[in-house]
Amino acid sequence: MKSDIVKTLITRFLSSVLTLFLLVSFLFIIIRLSPGDPTDKYISAKLGSELSERIAEKFSLNQPVTDQYLSFVSNVFRGDMGVSYNYRLPVFEVIWEYFSFTLVFASISFILQMSLSIWLALWVIKKRKKWLDKFVTNSSLFIYSIPAFVLGVALIYVFSVSFNLFPISGLKSLDYDYLSYFSQVLDKLHHLVLPLITLTAAGVALFYKYIKESMDDVLRQTFVINLRASGVDENIILRKHVIPNALRPLISVAGVELGILLGGALITEVIFSLPGMGRLTVDSIFSRDYPLVIGCVFTAGAVMILANFLADIIKLKIDKRLVKGILN
Amino acid sequence: MNIKTLNCLLISFLFLLINSCDSKQSPPNNRIIIGISADVQSFNSLFAFSYEESAIADLLYPGLLDFRWNEESGELDPFPMIATSWQWAEDSSFIKFTLRDDIFWSDGEKLTSADVVFSYDAFSDPNVQSRLFGIFNQLYTEQDGHIEIEKTFKVISPYEFEMYFPKASIPDLVKLVVPVIPEHIFNKVSRDQLANHESNFNPVSSGPFKLKKWSRNQTIILEADSVSFLFLPGQVAELVFKVVPDYTSRILQLKKGDIDLVELVKVEDMDELKAEDNLSMINLIGREYDYIGWNNIDPTEYSKGKTKLHKLFGSSNVRKALSIAINRKEILDEYLLGQGELSASPVSPIFKSAFSDKVKPYEFNPDEAKKLLFLEGWKDEDRNGILEKGKDEFKFKMYYPVGNPLREYAAVVVKNNLKSVGIEVTTEKMELGTFIDNLYERKLDSWMAAWGVPIPLDLKPYWYSDPNIGVLNFACYSSSEADKILDQLETKLSNERKNELIKEFQEIIHTDEPVTFLYWTPNIIVYNTRIKNLKITPYGVFVHCWEWILN
Repeated sequence: MKSDIVKTLITRFLSSVLTLFLLVSFLFIIIRLSPGDPTDKYISAKLGSELSERIAEKFSLNQPVTDQYLSFVSNVFRGDMGVSYNYRLPVFEVIWEYFSFTLVFASISFILQMSLSIWLALWVIKKRKKWLDKFVTNSSLFIYSIPAFVLGVALIYVFSVSFNLFPISGLKSLDYDYLSYFSQVLDKLHHLVLPLITLTAAGVALFYKYIKESMDDVLRQTFVINLRASGVDENIILRKHVIPNALRPLISVAGVELGILLGGALITEVIFSLPGMGRLTVDSIFSRDYPLVIGCVFTAGAVMILANFLADIIKLKIDKRLVKGILN
Repeated sequence: MNIKTLNCLLISFLFLLINSCDSKQSPPNNRIIIGISADVQSFNSLFAFSYEESAIADLLYPGLLDFRWNEESGELDPFPMIATSWQWAEDSSFIKFTLRDDIFWSDGEKLTSADVVFSYDAFSDPNVQSRLFGIFNQLYTEQDGHIEIEKTFKVISPYEFEMYFPKASIPDLVKLVVPVIPEHIFNKVSRDQLANHESNFNPVSSGPFKLKKWSRNQTIILEADSVSFLFLPGQVAELVFKVVPDYTSRILQLKKGDIDLVELVKVEDMDELKAEDNLSMINLIGREYDYIGWNNIDPTEYSKGKTKLHKLFGSSNVRKALSIAINRKEILDEYLLGQGELSASPVSPIFKSAFSDKVKPYEFNPDEAKKLLFLEGWKDEDRNGILEKGKDEFKFKMYYPVGNPLREYAAVVVKNNLKSVGIEVTTEKMELGTFIDNLYERKLDSWMAAWGVPIPLDLKPYWYSDPNIGVLNFACYSSSEADKILDQLETKLSNERKNELIKEFQEIIHTDEPVTFLYWTPNIIVYNTRIKNLKITPYGVFVHCWEWILN
């Protein structure tokens, strides 16, 4: 059994590496075939294209695409994604600066999405009131259908402009450096409240619907009726039997959601001026910063694979019979 | 823990959060916050390619001379800056500069002639690939554009040097002056590695402000440098550039008082912002105009290396007819709410001495346009509503870059106006990078775009016939008369004669109408009234911002 797990883990790892390699290779070719030139901005009125040609030479952009690709592949195998044309820094150095924020921001949002949706579903089930169930279900549908940019701007208008409770944008105050450590943490959280609501609201609504339906299904199962008939406490039934069974189908969706969140939340980042992966990726696409585009997509692809892998491991923890099916 | 306890905890936490941070909401009184849409990537003046980068780098690295906009003449006048005086040789073969001896870099080192010479060397070095590379043809340069330092500079003392010019050179002070960067910091770095050097992000500067803190994609905080020679008592203590990519958010913060100044405010927001007691606005017109480009030559033939007039836009009469058929005033009044100005040539009215009053924008007159088209042989013989000439129907595609609502609106007006004179236009949006690429390759028949106006005025790259010189002449306009004037402008002439020639050039352009000049678009700057002594001119918004004071 153990050797089976190791073998399947290695296979899974290799296939993930291959997927990532194919992804960046495909992207490398696509962006070079697409119109637009990263050196266009260096064409000057006085000098013509001389500076842009020199910069193209510096970044080997004047070489045939096949040569560029071969050099790119050999660099990738050495763990070098190249230097960003705009930042003039190694790609991963730039990405880390933005990814570190996204990692924290997305993780908090993900934890909030999961915990709030489970809490809400449990609360509605415990209350056993039809009108409440209907109200929460319809409200969640309504929240889910609000685009992030509408919700973000509405929250800013109400909580920042009208009531002056939260800052409109940014990650920290201008006087951040003068604050004590505790106040610095609170300051950052204060800035993140509205962005987190914007990013989390739709996720909570979505997960609520999944969990609620799943719990309703489990609650209708014969073994739950038997447990109730045997006089087992309702809280124990929920905690020990209903929740674990109801969560299983949710884990795969949660894995995908986590991957998406870690890839960047463009709209929330733009509205609230946050330095995340979404903005970095889009900016690099518009400025044709090829190495950075590939680096961003590679990172997004890697976190997506990792998040799904993590979801599979959790599923496996819940039910060991799934070893082969999941890992393959 | 039951749900009630959890709710109580959550509410208490939120209350703590709001209260703990509320006390520091009001910024210090002596700080100005400017909203910008994009972050910088370097503070080094060598690599300040974007608008924001050059605005900030100019505050960190002043040049030899200061230039101030002369409202009366519409020209730049030189004033002392790092150099206290400059003296031309009688035969104009060199200038002797005398520098101030009280200028210190922010690390305590003195600024000397060596820094100035090094700056010219670095800016012109092809290995550095600076933003000013290639513009030093007024000085002694090698074939690759690198200044020949020994021939060009003679250092007399740490505070005196002479700058020499080749015989045929026509030196122009405005084009000669570059920002001065610290030699003692950058001379240790290999030239091709300058772009990646740590000092680009942690600059040693000599300007009125020095970098205090940079949080990427968040804020750039410049603080007044009290040892700077430009430091003024009572000057603002901090100038904060706050990166807010979302326009709506910038405006909300402006209204709330979180931001003190925003550029490029939309005209539709003007009334709302005017109603705010604490806000004031300035409308700068004349630094950018929108136009519709007509490719004067056939793009397919051009791609084969041949030149053939465009079958639709090759004739100046047709181009004139197109301009007359488009109701530019309607766009100006309806969309820009009258805040722009109709344009008739690429010379902006801000250049008062060079601007020709004789050149007036063509009046909207569809009947006149139809007549001109008829005279050029364009008739609707098959009565399908579209003009024909032989086998060719007058229909084309007009492209414009995505993300500009003004152009989207204008495209609809243009389409409808031209339809009424028998021309079928299909409009298509194009991603900006792709659009620019197509312009450089002269692939488009027609497009709508904008040009910024450089100060000092520079027409040659935009209108010269030879594509190697007229690199930005996307319309492939060709006129020997215009070329002659553009060549003459580069010779030794009095200012009066130059201005006369520029006026003649405007008349030629107006007659040939290589493109349809639409309107000078407004740059509406809204600022908090607590900022005083704000002198915003067409030369720039932040150029002398160390003179701003706070009420």
